[in-house]
Amino acid sequence: MATPEGYVAVKRYDEIPEGGIVPFEVDDDERILVKLEGNVYALSGICTHEYAELAEGDLEDHVIYCPLHGSGFDLETGRVTSLPATQPLPVYDVQIVDGVVYVSREPRQG
Amino acid sequence: MADPRPCVILGGGVAAYGAAEALRAAGYDGPVTLVSAEPVVPYDRPALSKAFLQGQKTAEEILLKPPEHYQRLGIELRLGQRATAVDLDRRELVLEPGERLPFAVLLIATGAEPVRLRLPGFDLPGVRYLRSLADAQALREDLSRAERVLVVGCGFIGAEVAASARMLGKQVTVVDPLPVPLAGPLGEEVGGILAEVHRRHGIELRLGQKVAELRGHRSVEEAVLESGERIACDLVVVGVGVRPAVALFQGSGLQIENGILVDEHCATGVPGVYAAGDVANWWHPAIGRRLRVEHFDNAAQQGAAAARAIAGDPQPYAPVPYFWSDQFDLNLQYAGYPGPWDQVVLRGDKAAPSVTAFYLRQGVVEAVVTINRPRELRPGRRLVEAQARVDPAVLADPSTDLRALAQPARQAE
Ligand SMILES: Cc1cc2nc3c(=O)[nH]c(=O)nc-3n(C[C@H](O)[C@H](O)[C@H](O)COP(=O)(O)OP(=O)(O)OC[C@H]3O[C@@H](n4cnc5c(N)ncnc54)[C@H](O)[C@@H]3O)c2cc1C
Ligand code: FES
Repeated sequence: MATPEGYVAVKRYDEIPEGGIVPFEVDDDERILVKLEGNVYALSGICTHEYAELAEGDLEDHVIYCPLHGSGFDLETGRVTSLPATQPLPVYDVQIVDGVVYVSREPRQG
Repeated sequence: MADPRPCVILGGGVAAYGAAEALRAAGYDGPVTLVSAEPVVPYDRPALSKAFLQGQKTAEEILLKPPEHYQRLGIELRLGQRATAVDLDRRELVLEPGERLPFAVLLIATGAEPVRLRLPGFDLPGVRYLRSLADAQALREDLSRAERVLVVGCGFIGAEVAASARMLGKQVTVVDPLPVPLAGPLGEEVGGILAEVHRRHGIELRLGQKVAELRGHRSVEEAVLESGERIACDLVVVGVGVRPAVALFQGSGLQIENGILVDEHCATGVPGVYAAGDVANWWHPAIGRRLRVEHFDNAAQQGAAAARAIAGDPQPYAPVPYFWSDQFDLNLQYAGYPGPWDQVVLRGDKAAPSVTAFYLRQGVVEAVVTINRPRELRPGRRLVEAQARVDPAVLADPSTDLRALAQPARQAE
């Protein structure tokens, strides 16, 4: 199966646990995959406040929380739901083809 | 619908920022002016004692949003302008140097100010307090030349400044009257863990001691403790707490008692006048008592809650308060209400440290603290939110899955 244009293959869908946060890298760029209620989300792996790896963070109500100071980001849009971060988290498009999770190289715009 | 009432946000901290964002998000389209004594747009104040002091971030990098952002929101900025008088009947503020600024709605977000020590020698050059960016810039400058730093007071700010100074390679001594630092807000066990981390990093702690005076010729040279011990120092940082910035409102008709008294919608007794953040002492409806919280997250959220009330959508402000502190490589997070509590239950490894502490009152989880254990914060917070009763032995058992414990607590809400 060919990789969709502008995407990279990351993991098999089945390998991601429900409620799990899985770190991965694209061109040295740290990102995370999150599986919630069967849906897969791809976001930047580094908090926009200071330096923290969101893979160490926590999920609650479709929000990913930074492990250090409680910044929250909406899984779907990357919008800040709680400070101290004020910059949204870049989010990436996800496609699942033949059981493989593909993530866009470039962040979704706006 | 156009709201013609001009709204003034008084203050330039994160409560003001939260309010500015939320006013517009809630559809308030009247004129909004943000007045701050500081010459800069709202910034990440917690960074002052940490990333900024350590030189990891510049002033520009700690701004919550750039100045243009306020333009986009249609919010007029009056920076570097202190309000010196207020008349709630005529509904106007007097700004330095004498301009009158009328308002229909006023949100007081003046925050807090450091308590000044009036002991001999504390007026010498080389004695610093830390609240504003200007304070931090001056302190950073002094630190670059200092060798021996004395920190007076081991509250959060004192402990963080001490850690940052040490990370910059300074000799650091901390004096605090309590035998265990931060025992008030965190209890002796957790305070003891922090003290140990400071010692391990080479900070000299003088606990259970007070400074009697500072001495020096042109600037500070030594501190004399009440015990008689003398400590050489070329820079002193005082962190002995803050008090709400209410001076402007004394005699204005507002009720003032450990801050400005407001209800669960951030409203004072005077129609159209609200308060939020460090300056506000509010009625917390979920726990049935008044709180005044001196932390970032509360200020941000309470500013936003006040804004929603102003915009015509009041909702009771009933958060589980949250804060963090970073000292060296230690990250502490607290979710819960301030004490008193009657039992503290710990799990984890105190030496590492990697610890979660639960604070109980009559069996109810009132607060949770995580030290380098972030994954237990939110499940712990849920227990607090649900005012759950959990067997202390279960909490102390590191094999207990807090998430599973928090789940039924949540469903029962
Ligand atoms: C060094 C430091 C480190 C901190 N670290 C942490 C941390 O790690 N975690 C945490 O949760 N909290 C931390 N805090 C606390 C947190 O910063 C405060 O709780 C928060 O800033 C409160 O926001 P506020 O908007 O209510 O008030 P403030 O931030 O105090 O802002 C008040 C604003 O009002 C202005 N003002 C006051 N009076 C007038 C007047 N008459 N006219 C015009 N303007 C006026 C002031 O100049 C200021 O701009 C820290 C605080 C400090 C000082
Ligand atoms: S680094 Fe993520 S909230 Fe501060």
